[in-house]
Amino acid sequence: MKTASASDVKRINNLVPKIGVVKEILDETPDVKTFRISTPEGERPFTPMPGQLGMYSLPAVGEAMFSVTNYGDDYIDMSIKKYNDGVLTSVLHAMEEGQEVGIRGPYGNGFPIDQFKGKDIVFVAGGIGLAPVRSLILYCMRNREDFGKLTIIYGGRSKDDLCFKEDLFENWPKVPNTEVHVTIDRPQEGWDGHVGFVPDFVKEIAPNAQIAAVCGPPILIKLTLPILSQMGLPDEDIITTLELRMKCGIGKCGRCNIGSCYVCLDGPVFSQAQLNNMPKEY
Amino acid sequence: MKTIEKAKLDSLFAQLAQNYSLLVPVDYNGLTQFAPYSQVQEGVSQLYLDGNVTVSPKTAYLPQSEAMYKFRAQGKKLAIEEMAGLDKQQVLFGVRHCDTKAIQCLDKVFLDEKFEDPQYKNKREQNIVFSLACNNPKATCFCESMGLDRAHAEASVADVQVYDFGDSFGFEAISDKGKACLDKLTGLGETASKLPDQKPQTLKFDVAGLPEKLKDMFEDPIWDEYSFKCLNCGTCSYICPTCHCFDINNKIRGEVGVKLRTWDSCMFNEYTLMAGGHQPRAGKKERVRNRFLHKLQYFNEKHDMSLCVGCGRCVAKCPVNVDITKFIRQVIG
Repeated sequence: MKTASASDVKRINNLVPKIGVVKEILDETPDVKTFRISTPEGERPFTPMPGQLGMYSLPAVGEAMFSVTNYGDDYIDMSIKKYNDGVLTSVLHAMEEGQEVGIRGPYGNGFPIDQFKGKDIVFVAGGIGLAPVRSLILYCMRNREDFGKLTIIYGGRSKDDLCFKEDLFENWPKVPNTEVHVTIDRPQEGWDGHVGFVPDFVKEIAPNAQIAAVCGPPILIKLTLPILSQMGLPDEDIITTLELRMKCGIGKCGRCNIGSCYVCLDGPVFSQAQLNNMPKEY
Repeated sequence: MKTIEKAKLDSLFAQLAQNYSLLVPVDYNGLTQFAPYSQVQEGVSQLYLDGNVTVSPKTAYLPQSEAMYKFRAQGKKLAIEEMAGLDKQQVLFGVRHCDTKAIQCLDKVFLDEKFEDPQYKNKREQNIVFSLACNNPKATCFCESMGLDRAHAEASVADVQVYDFGDSFGFEAISDKGKACLDKLTGLGETASKLPDQKPQTLKFDVAGLPEKLKDMFEDPIWDEYSFKCLNCGTCSYICPTCHCFDINNKIRGEVGVKLRTWDSCMFNEYTLMAGGHQPRAGKKERVRNRFLHKLQYFNEKHDMSLCVGCGRCVAKCPVNVDITKFIRQVIG
């Protein structure tokens, strides 16, 4: 194999992934796994801000964009839901620890951290939508004194479909000035918590927050945003994340545009105020 | 201005081919496009200078299919190797002004500060563009309406300005790269002749205020009208000199593979279809609207320039006559 010439070395081709090694695979739910990825040298592949994205690939299969839900000194975590029609996610789920994968990033704008500082925050998430919101929750907890009260409202289809259970039921409730509310869609044996859909649960709890971060399936986002507006939050402080098909991740391949915005570059985090000025095409 | 008689064009090409890779506009079995000059020498294609080519010279910057990297996936092991760029300078002879403007549009996308594309940049640096002014525009040409200068090619892209004087071509260097190239050529004449007459374009209209007007037309019934007969065939995007959307694909043989970027089109269902089944642009109305607005509004908002350069290819080649110029005139009213 040829080596790159001197002039090529200085130039970074952002479309060419770095090698990552899957150090650990954690089962979150029957169809969600968390992949802990380091470089072959045992380093963190890149340093994301909360809400930023990474391109994750098995070059022989495919490549797709996922949010980076957490990171440590020498790893990043990406939590991925398996779709039966999704070729890549099915193969990723069949992978074993030690597998080398392609990894590139970080991409996207991430959450506007400064805007959250000093405020009481409500986090609303459903299903795998907790993955991007969790990166922000963990940031707030690591810098606890910079933020006000944290209220986390999360729901899943059933108790088995709840992601990050250790955080939800063990770690987060112990954090000072933090409330965690969990719901599932339908009653289930062995579940004595709340039952019902997330948007209704938000209305019921009526958290006294000054800013909100919302992520989940499109129907959850669609129904939750107006409730937050009714609670008096200004459109600038209702923050959500969008997801569209992406290939390049750096605003060149074209497909993830909403009007003149690219979700990979200008998003995935948008405020309700920004969405108001964008075409409803997502 | 340096000149050469058209009868001696072969000797000019022979000199250029000695020092550079040389691409010229050709007719290959009825399809006009840029191809290596060797095709003309071998009689595979005929030199074509009567009008602009159907397949735009964006192929020399963003090929229809381009290897990005090679990989070897062996059990749990993965190796990745980047591709080398062009190591030799390449002359493109006879690129029309509209297509130089189109490369300026592609620069905004591929040479942005944050994520510069080294494969594109390599070609941008290695290509030497001889841009030929058009004396006889086609009925579908509307570059003047899109603000282009028919006497001068886009100076940030073209290296040598070429004029057609009937029996001869005249050359003026635009860039240092172009001057160095011209200086190497021997056997050229010298003339202070005035620029050739250019026949006026017949397709003329005003585009002032177009992006602002379109901003309020996202839900306008005009989109039903213009998408009604669209076949979503993608011809417009493939021949468009500024359409740059690409897909990323594999070519695999056993454990080794090549990652390719290949032209894609916003006309196709798979372009935006997500693994979970969500489809933000479900029908042809949404797709035609996205393409037209990207050309005439979205790109203006991001880069303060139009993504339509008025080459007229889509007007000429659309199998069902979806006409962006008719659309613009209807919007401007």
